[in-house]
Amino acid sequence: MIADYSIGLLVAFASAGVAFFALMRETDGLHRLLLTDLIEVVTLAFIALVGTDLAEALILPGLVVGVSELIALSEIYRVKEGYVRPPAAGLQIEVMESAPGILAAILVVYGIVLSGFSGGAVAGLGVIFYFLSRSHSERFELIETASGYSWVLWIVAFFVFMLLPEYWFFAVMLAGSAILVKVMAKMSLIGTMRGGPDV
Amino acid sequence: MNAVFALGLAILVIGVLSVAFVRPKTYVARLINLEIPAWGLLLVMLAYDEALALLTFVAVTAISTFVIVRLMEWRDASC
Repeated sequence: MIADYSIGLLVAFASAGVAFFALMRETDGLHRLLLTDLIEVVTLAFIALVGTDLAEALILPGLVVGVSELIALSEIYRVKEGYVRPPAAGLQIEVMESAPGILAAILVVYGIVLSGFSGGAVAGLGVIFYFLSRSHSERFELIETASGYSWVLWIVAFFVFMLLPEYWFFAVMLAGSAILVKVMAKMSLIGTMRGGPDV
Repeated sequence: MNAVFALGLAILVIGVLSVAFVRPKTYVARLINLEIPAWGLLLVMLAYDEALALLTFVAVTAISTFVIVRLMEWRDASC
């Protein structure tokens, strides 16, 4: 097992070296953004090699920070280069009309079954696909309010853990469902990045 | 050494090389090649039974692909 880890570490270091070398040689902005994504994948391999529950606990925030960094950098790049909105919606294909409802339903149901952070991510992905493919006219203040209240419930669950430890199962369920709603609401906002009313 | 683990590491290296020295050097080619190291990472995660990390990685990769494709779309509209 130790030999596995050493070999994996060596491979990951070599890959990271190649990726950083390519980033160093690159001058074009969008290519650099893509290489940043590559470096994120390679460096996540370091964490995955730990191979315990600690790895799972570390990969989740790493992924979230990675994707938020990517969104922020892409917005900065877009403003810097002065890109304008495309005149019409890009993809006008039949599958974008029929599939999103089914896909979103499956992903949201599976996310609710998973619950917790990963469940929120999976369900949020379903909502993103739905918002991306259909026009969205939801009132996002309402979604944000639900997200805020679920955040409060999450904190309440932690107080239950500390003050009333005998009700730990209730607190686990509360925290799991609250973080599900929180993550799903926040991720659904990404689906509105193409712009539209109420955003 | 576990076969899944070895395969994951091999695909990771191949993928990193294919993204770093991509031919032809276009944005779309690089974005598509980016899936290869992601597969390698998924196999490494699978070898260690990290199901939660694997699922979240799949979800987040879909989002980052969308963000980059959106940027390319806006770029094509502006140039």
